[in-house]
Amino acid sequence: MNKEFLKALLKRIISSLITLFLLISLLFILIRLSPGDPTQKFLSAEFSPELIKKVTADFKLDQPLYEQYINFVVNIFKGDLGISYNYRMPVLSVVWQFLSFTLLFASLSFLIQIIISFYLSIKSIRKKGTAFDKVVSKLSLIVYATPAFVLGVFLIYLFSVQLNLFPSSGSKSLDFDSFSIAGKIGDYFWHLTLPIITLSSAGIAMFYKYLRDNLDETYQQPFILNLRASGYDEKVILKKHVLPNAIRPLISVAGIELGILLGGALITEIIFGLPGMGRLMLNSIFERDYPLVIGCALTAGLIIIISNFIADLIKMKLDKRMIKGLMN
Amino acid sequence: MKFQPKIWHLLLFFWITIIIFRFDLLIELVVLWARYFLLFISDFKSAMQLLDFSLIDAILSVKLFIIIPTILFLFRKNNLWLKSSLNFSSLTLVLLLLAFIFAPIITNENPEFQKDLKMTKLLAPLSSVKVLHLNKKENAQKSSLEKFINYKNKIIKPSYNEDIIFVNNVEVKSDHIIYSQKNLQKEINISDVQIKNGIPFVTSKIFILGTDEFGRDIFTRLIYGARISLLVGIGAVVVSLFMGLSFGFIAGFKGGFIDTIFSRLTDLFLAFPIIYFIVLILALFGNSLLSVIIVLGLSGWMGLFKIVKSEVLAEKNKDYILTAGMLGQTNRKILTKEILPVIFVPIVVNIVFQFSNVILAESALSYLGLGTGNSYPSWGAMIESGQRYIMKAWWMISFPGLILIATLFSANDFGKRLNETINPGIQK
Repeated sequence: MNKEFLKALLKRIISSLITLFLLISLLFILIRLSPGDPTQKFLSAEFSPELIKKVTADFKLDQPLYEQYINFVVNIFKGDLGISYNYRMPVLSVVWQFLSFTLLFASLSFLIQIIISFYLSIKSIRKKGTAFDKVVSKLSLIVYATPAFVLGVFLIYLFSVQLNLFPSSGSKSLDFDSFSIAGKIGDYFWHLTLPIITLSSAGIAMFYKYLRDNLDETYQQPFILNLRASGYDEKVILKKHVLPNAIRPLISVAGIELGILLGGALITEIIFGLPGMGRLMLNSIFERDYPLVIGCALTAGLIIIISNFIADLIKMKLDKRMIKGLMN
Repeated sequence: MKFQPKIWHLLLFFWITIIIFRFDLLIELVVLWARYFLLFISDFKSAMQLLDFSLIDAILSVKLFIIIPTILFLFRKNNLWLKSSLNFSSLTLVLLLLAFIFAPIITNENPEFQKDLKMTKLLAPLSSVKVLHLNKKENAQKSSLEKFINYKNKIIKPSYNEDIIFVNNVEVKSDHIIYSQKNLQKEINISDVQIKNGIPFVTSKIFILGTDEFGRDIFTRLIYGARISLLVGIGAVVVSLFMGLSFGFIAGFKGGFIDTIFSRLTDLFLAFPIIYFIVLILALFGNSLLSVIIVLGLSGWMGLFKIVKSEVLAEKNKDYILTAGMLGQTNRKILTKEILPVIFVPIVVNIVFQFSNVILAESALSYLGLGTGNSYPSWGAMIESGQRYIMKAWWMISFPGLILIATLFSANDFGKRLNETINPGIQK
């Protein structure tokens, strides 16, 4: 930890905060621009004008726009996102309930993507040019082009309808509460198998493509030839010299991939009827539950900002040149 | 020498196939075109009133169809595009383009056509039903305008048709006809039915890819769905291109404060999970064809912006740009004449990938029920309804799904090939 690193870190934090601030502003603008009056949900035409005025004043909608904006920002930084119309609970606690599922779901899928794509790409680079390599490369292109909702429905058709191996929707069995703890965990993963395959496949294909190309490129560099000539073991070359070089560009891809993952999670949750953030967001939009919509969008944006930040941190740790890049 | 199929071979093949299978329709369309032309001269006002999208569509596509052989003959030797060789991805993309332009000629059905739900609901691919033709209730004396409208309705199929009945079986009794629809028996007077050679005129109709839950032909809907996908794809790409070019040029050329603002904005859009953003805007402001195009365009300009900005930054201090500025060229001219040709290549590659992203996003939105609305068929919406009938009708979901996968794969593959052709450095 030197001074330069801290300075770069500080700069990165500030730029993240600015992005967050802009995100909040954008949300405010969108909500204010959208047609419809938030008080309509609570008012009927039979109410007296005085009452309508009073409700509007209670919502602070009679204040000028910039004061509404300041209120909005201050409340968000206080952690007060309002109360959901549907759930009759603070937005933050509703979002938290659903967020935990999506976080588990997405991170599990992320882990699986990394592991499988690593395994496949290393294996196919070792057998470069063989049938295995060619088949997996072609297959990855096709899988990458398959939308999550087509793959998910296909899996449901194959494994739920025809073979009756996995459940087609939900995250728990009906008699979930009667299971032992091990049974509960097993039941959970039994329900999550198909969704995780659906969510992970595109990411696996993408990581595989990147990693294979990177590995290939690294293997063709002169220093590898030098190492080989010096008599190093292939495994040592791969572990100590090729992988660290090949992984680096992947980390920034991983930061972006997390955003894709959240989007994919939205669709996967819809297909399989899972209780996650994406479904919450979509339902709240269809039910015009604005506080909840803002809460969901903000949380999703926050996750992306944080994950990009972490990806940059890891890159800084791996590559000292990154610090200079951030400084400029 | 080995025969290497080229794109113009495919176009020729398409042209001949359509001529063989749709000869009647083509003739009728040409006649319709001529009749409309006559009406246009004789009765301009009512001709303009009759002008609607389907008529323009039909006439334009038949015009283009007639031009095809001329184009092929003139350009097949010189045009780089026409003489490039055919592979899976270019095959798919060209077929999609043909479906986009010639949809009314290829199918001759209305994508929303539904009739006798009991008979046509959820039919398997290649299944056929019998069609009983009724006598048309037409008035004897007609003006030329009414004649034209009748003729138009005969050729450009509306979404309803009172003159046919889908049946299982037809039996002739002395003065009436008994026809059966599944287990239902119905009677009809023999004078209401078209008679040919002494027996009722019955044809059979084949549904190549089956029907959906409303008895609509899936093949037709797929062809027309290609239109929506391509339209949204092209529209959104144009919007992103416009935004990315102008923002990137301004940010790169002016630099300083404006650059900071635009760069922050890009970070913001990249930080927002794009699908949340799209869903949010569509739900707040309502979804229609135009809003889907604009929102998808809005959500995809960041990559182009970054490319354009970095290229402009790299180019702007080079001597030739400085010279152009000193010679008194306006900024707009410098952009279009000097910088645009330089950054053309990376932009085109980016656009192709953007196009496939947009098609995916559009079908995902339709799947979520936030697409271009119900007035036009869309692949995503077809997949969504197919999911609900997955137990009974596998064909409802597999065909749109396969076409979507093939389209996305081809667009990605095309982009990759383009990239490799233009930048040989990245070739492995």
